[in-house]
Amino acid sequence: MVMPEPREHGRDAMSGPANAAFSELYSAYAAGRLDPAFALLLETQSMLRGDVRHALAVSETISGVMLEMAEPARMSAGAATRALDLIAQLEGETGRAASRGPEDRELADLPDPLRTPAQDAFAAAGWQGTAPGIRRMKLDVGSELDVELYRIQPNARVPRHTHGGMEFTLVVAGGFSDESGSYGPGDLAVKGPDDTHQPVGDPGDVCFALAVRDSGLRFTGVMGMIQRVLGR
Amino acid sequence: MARIAANKCRESFSELFDFYAPRLKSYLLRLGASENEAEDLAQDVMVTVWRKAGMYDRKQASVSTWVFRVARNRRIDRFRQASRPELDADEPMLRPPDIEQPDVALDRAQIEETVRTELQKLPPEQLELLQAAFYEGLSHSEIASRFKLPLGTVKSRIRLAFGRLRGQLEKGDGDA
Repeated sequence: MVMPEPREHGRDAMSGPANAAFSELYSAYAAGRLDPAFALLLETQSMLRGDVRHALAVSETISGVMLEMAEPARMSAGAATRALDLIAQLEGETGRAASRGPEDRELADLPDPLRTPAQDAFAAAGWQGTAPGIRRMKLDVGSELDVELYRIQPNARVPRHTHGGMEFTLVVAGGFSDESGSYGPGDLAVKGPDDTHQPVGDPGDVCFALAVRDSGLRFTGVMGMIQRVLGR
Repeated sequence: MARIAANKCRESFSELFDFYAPRLKSYLLRLGASENEAEDLAQDVMVTVWRKAGMYDRKQASVSTWVFRVARNRRIDRFRQASRPELDADEPMLRPPDIEQPDVALDRAQIEETVRTELQKLPPEQLELLQAAFYEGLSHSEIASRFKLPLGTVKSRIRLAFGRLRGQLEKGDGDA
């Protein structure tokens, strides 16, 4: 497997080399300010794209070095000993057996950050069919945004649709095409409320795509920033 | 860190605690936590560091970067616990990625060195903006109002500094 070449098309705000213009997204991620849905999107994308991975690694390194540079604040007396006591206590407890329901073999090939919520969703509710060759699952990542994993068979058509708000779709495997272009692994398709589109699975591998939707909510702060950076 | 993971070395943990706990506390105070919350969460982060020490991979991140990541995730988990108590707190992010390929493997040592060198060289007015963004997690417009600077100035300063920390002046980057 080779790293996919970023493809060129107009609407895709993150397909060019991850550049400094997105530093706001990366800093929000590194500092833990990014909504969990977008954090998942970025992490998954960083597994597919070297440039995004580099930018995230640099961002997290900056945060780490800044922690070292911080002016130490006094801990109360005996804090280290109390931590060690707590550790001893926790180690006495037996770990909870991680019991999980059925796993999907296909989902095991998804990039790491996405695999766990995908398997959880599979165990909890499983795939929902929406149209011939199209299945989807809602993922619970602790976000107020809609997060869904799509499975699109080659040549299957996602019903034509519009969005109440912005929709960010990251291709994780395979690819799909719509009126605005072709999207491959690591590409992010960004659609606004006025866009109507009908994605079709590319021939070849089954396409998996992670979709984050804001359902028309207007965000302030960091979320508003994302809408500005990635939207129009 | 290796000694903590392999031998459960209490002495190494105490050393790590003495260095990082006061800095974590200072970080949390800066984010607006109360004295008690900051102390408590710093403690909690260090306990998590002990328990997850086996997941630490020095080829993936420096200790500081990793500790900061643990702190960030603990903070997010707490926040989530408040609103969504059913969420599992196991952090897949702390595990090294399993599809690391030789051709796209990052040179973490190089990143670490560039970031450290360039941070030292940054003029104070760029450093404080970078701190607000990468450490406190403020958006550019929040930074603009805190420092009473035009948004464009904030953006261009951070962009410039981030570019330097990514090593963009030394070599053409972004060709991954």
